[in-house]
Amino acid sequence: MTTLTSSNLIERIGNTPTIELESFSTRNVRIYAKLEWYNPYGSVKDRAAYWMIKNAEKKGLLKKDKSIIIEPSSGNTGIALTGIASTLGYRVEIVIPEKVSEETKNILRKLGATIHETSDDLCPRVGAGTDQSIALATAISKPRPDLYYMPNQYENDANFMAHYESTGPEIWKQMAGNLTHFFTGCGTGGTITGTSTYLKEQNNNIKVIAVQAQKNHLLQGLRNFEESAMPELFTRRQHVVDSWFTATNDESFRMAKELASRENLLVGPSSGAVMASMLDTAKSIDHGVLVGIFADDGRKFKSLYAEQHVFNQTEYERLIRINEYLPETACPYSYN
Amino acid sequence: MNNANDEIASKTIDVRGLFCPEPVFRTKLELEKLHIGEKIKIVADDPASEEDISRWVNRNGHELVSVKKADNDLEFVIKKAK
Repeated sequence: MTTLTSSNLIERIGNTPTIELESFSTRNVRIYAKLEWYNPYGSVKDRAAYWMIKNAEKKGLLKKDKSIIIEPSSGNTGIALTGIASTLGYRVEIVIPEKVSEETKNILRKLGATIHETSDDLCPRVGAGTDQSIALATAISKPRPDLYYMPNQYENDANFMAHYESTGPEIWKQMAGNLTHFFTGCGTGGTITGTSTYLKEQNNNIKVIAVQAQKNHLLQGLRNFEESAMPELFTRRQHVVDSWFTATNDESFRMAKELASRENLLVGPSSGAVMASMLDTAKSIDHGVLVGIFADDGRKFKSLYAEQHVFNQTEYERLIRINEYLPETACPYSYN
Repeated sequence: MNNANDEIASKTIDVRGLFCPEPVFRTKLELEKLHIGEKIKIVADDPASEEDISRWVNRNGHELVSVKKADNDLEFVIKKAK
């Protein structure tokens, strides 16, 4: 496991590789993926977490060795915030739905977070799942502003800026401006609005495809905007989206399996959803260069993939062993 | 009717100033620390707590021994039943 310090943290966030998925590309339609699990805590959320903390420091909202950062999260944001905030000298409390996987809870504990688990019966009128966690994190932080700071990734413009200032410019540079379509999954809306705003400023003809999950989904990090409200961060700049793709659990898992067999990539379920969307578009165009965000890898999803019959233990262990795209990070995975 | 003897709680938790869902969350955490049969007193002042704590206690199979109102405060005595 890589150890980070406050001084080398920023150098390690971003600049993730973009690779061509050659077995899926055709002569006229090229398909690329940006591998966000190369970030130090293993996902695209490192960018938003770092930008939100730094922005709060600039505004004087955080005091080293005193402030507690509290955030509702069901996965990657909690991991990123805990890793980065601990490195920078802040305590972290993460509020998560109790049904979140034990793998994720273990990573959070190992990184030093205090975990508050919510259940849907705490306060039914605020909603279910993450909505309970948002309500509890708000209830804990609001009366104690001297002690707690809640970044609130669903409203915080630093989440947008992270992608406007890093993800967008990286893609533009890595592709040398040569892309026609951009795809990413949607949760808070930070990645899609920030990256797309930058890309469209460079070339307004780039088409942006937003990927959401089906209702009642198993795709961590994504939302379905019929069953969950669209976050304020997203509604502010929803105009960047040209079209929507709704990914099912089945096709996302099928794509995760295909990416493993054809490209030796062990991706997280939301990357499977993005891949399904890219192939759907690829079928309908004659020429194009497609770039998708693969938000995280599959190292946190061993039990989910086993339950959903995506990979059995032997296949999973083989993928981890042979995979050239699984770098050592600062995230304490426990997939063995 | 409440029996005074029923209301001897082994611990009192003051959640005044906190609002939904934190009073229920603190109640849940404290009950997890008790042994079956032990009682706890919760003092709250969020009006929503009366419904929230009562409902949560009943749904989770514990016993709501009493609820008292005094000025703006609500005092719950809860017995851990499982």
